[in-house]
Amino acid sequence: MRRTLPLAICLGMGIVMMCQFFIPHPVSVSFYDLTTKWIRIVSAFALVLGVGSLILYHIDRLQRKRTGWGYSIVTLVALVITALIGLIWGVKPGSPLQEVLFKNILVPLNSSMFAILAFYMASAAYRAFRARTKEAALLLIAAFVVMIGMVPVGAAIWGKLPELAEWVLSVPNMAAKRGILFGVALGAIATSLKVILGIERGWLGGGKG
Amino acid sequence: MSIFEKLLKIDRKIIFIVMAVLVLFPLLKPLGLGVSSGPRAKAVFDAVDAIPPGKTLLISVDFDPASMPELYPMLVALMRHAFARDVKVLLCGLWITGAGLADKAITEIPPEYGKRYGEDVVYLGWKAGVDAVILGMGENIKNVFPVDYYGHPLDSLLMMQEVTRLKDIPFMVAISAGTPGFADWLLYAQSRYGMRVAAGVTAVSAADAYPYLQSGQLTGLLAGMKGAAEYEVLIQRNNYSKAYMPAVAAMDSQSLAHIVIMVLVIIGNLAFFATRRKRR
Repeated sequence: MRRTLPLAICLGMGIVMMCQFFIPHPVSVSFYDLTTKWIRIVSAFALVLGVGSLILYHIDRLQRKRTGWGYSIVTLVALVITALIGLIWGVKPGSPLQEVLFKNILVPLNSSMFAILAFYMASAAYRAFRARTKEAALLLIAAFVVMIGMVPVGAAIWGKLPELAEWVLSVPNMAAKRGILFGVALGAIATSLKVILGIERGWLGGGKG
Repeated sequence: MSIFEKLLKIDRKIIFIVMAVLVLFPLLKPLGLGVSSGPRAKAVFDAVDAIPPGKTLLISVDFDPASMPELYPMLVALMRHAFARDVKVLLCGLWITGAGLADKAITEIPPEYGKRYGEDVVYLGWKAGVDAVILGMGENIKNVFPVDYYGHPLDSLLMMQEVTRLKDIPFMVAISAGTPGFADWLLYAQSRYGMRVAAGVTAVSAADAYPYLQSGQLTGLLAGMKGAAEYEVLIQRNNYSKAYMPAVAAMDSQSLAHIVIMVLVIIGNLAFFATRRKRR
């Protein structure tokens, strides 16, 4: 029963929502409106799963004294402090969560992390980007064209460089991207059907049915 | 040790110092390379320019402080463009970390044009459940956001009396740093409710947006710092703003950073091939 009922709900709702998409009748529309409210409520419960999973993972790291276990303490302390500040003083503009945690801690940390990327990218590109094969050489040339064509200095070097960079993005890149997107879309349809029809049951989790 | 072997082992501290100097130098002393506007940014500009005064532009703030240097200038430029033309601005967001950034823009930009919160600009805030939020907004915005980010009931805001659902909004720009982002707005707002959508994305995400541009699903695209700079130039050229242009100022730094990376890759490859025979 623990497995049959969720599977039945999934099958029923899957088919109903597929049909609903093509029926513009007011009853169908109001039902759809109701289900979007349900989704928002259900998706809020994902937070419980996420927080639970994070706590369990870091407690396990602490118990086993894994490499970098000190960072787990920082994570757990930060999680508790952030949650407490939010629960006690709220999350509205002007609250300590916004003024202290967001503006004075998260923004500088997040910005610094992203800024550091430029330095690591430069170092990593120098060490790892080797034209060992024809394909790698082609990738290197394309990367150079796009990199230089997308900044003002590219146009200063040669007026046609921005156009060439645009062509690389619009033609070869798009052909590859479109293929990937079609593949992903077909995969998503197949997976959705497998979930709706009860073939794919990973979402039910473990335990006995 | 030959010169090539030395070139193959440049200390990364030297790379970091060179990078830092070349990024900082143009910020202190601009090179003035200049930015020309491309067709993708022009398409976004034209679409915003075509919104009748009094109507609403929706901007979704789907980014965090990490992407702020590239994307925040887009948000500011779009708001300036809209306010200069008496177009109302409705902000919302799919990223919780973007909430504070949208609030910052709301505090800074409307006063420049004498615009008032609730009449000319509203910030809905953030809600969990990406697809449900967009779909819900397509049916009734007040059902999804009964109150705005600041806790005002939507019914009490003058601007929101004319904007009840996505169909009331002629155009939107999703400024996104990843997922959720512009793809979700295309998937739900554009395909289901026929909304015209443009995107502002980080430079690394630009390639992902191109297929949607060619299919016509995206009206236009602001790609990375360059896209932001192009938009800043466009609004300045059309006398919509005379404010400082942070993205334009940063383009010189980006130019030099790109050149540094390219030069390093060339050096690395030359040294690698010159010493390969010796290694064999």
